[in-house]
Amino acid sequence: MNKLLNRNKMLIILFGIIILIVFIGFSMTDRSSTTKAEQFTGDTVAASQSIIGAPVQFVSNIFSNVTGMFGAATENEALRAQLEMMPQMYADIERLEAENEKLRDALDVSAKRKYNTVNSRVISRSQDQWLNNFTIDKGENDGIEEGMAVMTPEGLIGTVKRVNGNSSFVEMITTSVSQNNLSVEIHNGDDTIYGAIDRYDSEKGLLVIDNIQNTATVEAGDPVFTSGLTGDFPEGLNVGEVVQVENDEYGLSQNAFIQLFSDPSEVDVVFVLERDPDSQVD
Amino acid sequence: MRVIVIFMMALVLMYGDFLFAEFSPFNLGQLTVYTVPKLLLMFILLMSVYINPSISSFFAIVFGVLIDIYSGLVYGVHTFGMVAFVFFMHTAFRVFYKDFVAMGFVVLVLTFLYDAYVYMIYRILGLVTLPVFDYIALRGLPSLILNALLFIIVFIITLKTSKVRKNLLPKH
Repeated sequence: MNKLLNRNKMLIILFGIIILIVFIGFSMTDRSSTTKAEQFTGDTVAASQSIIGAPVQFVSNIFSNVTGMFGAATENEALRAQLEMMPQMYADIERLEAENEKLRDALDVSAKRKYNTVNSRVISRSQDQWLNNFTIDKGENDGIEEGMAVMTPEGLIGTVKRVNGNSSFVEMITTSVSQNNLSVEIHNGDDTIYGAIDRYDSEKGLLVIDNIQNTATVEAGDPVFTSGLTGDFPEGLNVGEVVQVENDEYGLSQNAFIQLFSDPSEVDVVFVLERDPDSQVD
Repeated sequence: MRVIVIFMMALVLMYGDFLFAEFSPFNLGQLTVYTVPKLLLMFILLMSVYINPSISSFFAIVFGVLIDIYSGLVYGVHTFGMVAFVFFMHTAFRVFYKDFVAMGFVVLVLTFLYDAYVYMIYRILGLVTLPVFDYIALRGLPSLILNALLFIIVFIITLKTSKVRKNLLPKH
């Protein structure tokens, strides 16, 4: 009897491990849609979390308002100085945009930079704190789709992985680059060097662009933008800046280490970018 | 009635875990220290002792699925893990002498091992590259200390929950 029980337990454990492997395989595949069951579960948890989290959010806001009051005068002065420059900046942007449009029309070039933004708030972080992924309060009903780029005011932060009705799960760029190389461009003076982010170096906390030709000049401080050549990401999104360049182990090419502009541990408000369909590369 | 109360408590504790993610990690000099609470897991483990292993396993599956779908990148990790750890708790508690200290020790060791199990899966899949020593020093041990403090609260909640009557109306 005892042997039979042990055999049954063994079978259950084996069955469990097989199911776990199947689930892992399912979740690691590159899916382009979220199932209805996932959407329903995700939305239910997000809605109940918003209700339970509301009092905590209220108290947290009071504390942040009180602490924010201390540096308010200095901050106000700095913002006022910036604000005085705004009319001139707007005028410049409008003039440059009009000029850019005319030149594109003349050259018959589509704008890879065009996109619409959906403002969103982070409602929860991943509770196991491993991959810094988070959930936002906008979903399919707000026009969000899988694969869209997600930005903070500082720069690119992630990709929409799963979309529910009124919430979406965002995978951090530090996690997703290991699966699909993100196409980027490095600006060194007037030169543009194209490359792909290969991985995230968690020890250094930096993204790595590998296989850059030795003849290309890349220096610390060079800004890095998305190239718009692959995927749903528009061109010209701020990614970060080069902080270190070194030869690969065989000395045949260079590796550039990129510091993200956005801080993965401080994400509160994000923008989901919907790329203009006319500008997508097939 | 008791099942509803257990469900509500588990839901609140799950959101407690989510809430901690807003404050962690924190920087200590140049080091980034993670403190990962396991309120829900401790509650489910204690339920297997104070209420019923079957009910505990049921809630382990329900909340494992919720966590996996809502905030997990890899499905099945929490669902399988929680059920397996309820089973370990049940087995370990039959071996250890049943007193408060032994039970606290087993629960805390299992919370530590649970996080190590998730770390191992992510490491195999290439999602994390944190060295083992760094994991233990900067995540495993600080989380263990935090969970030791939180254990008292979860223990009281479990005791109160276990005393809730099964039925609203008394049986005649």
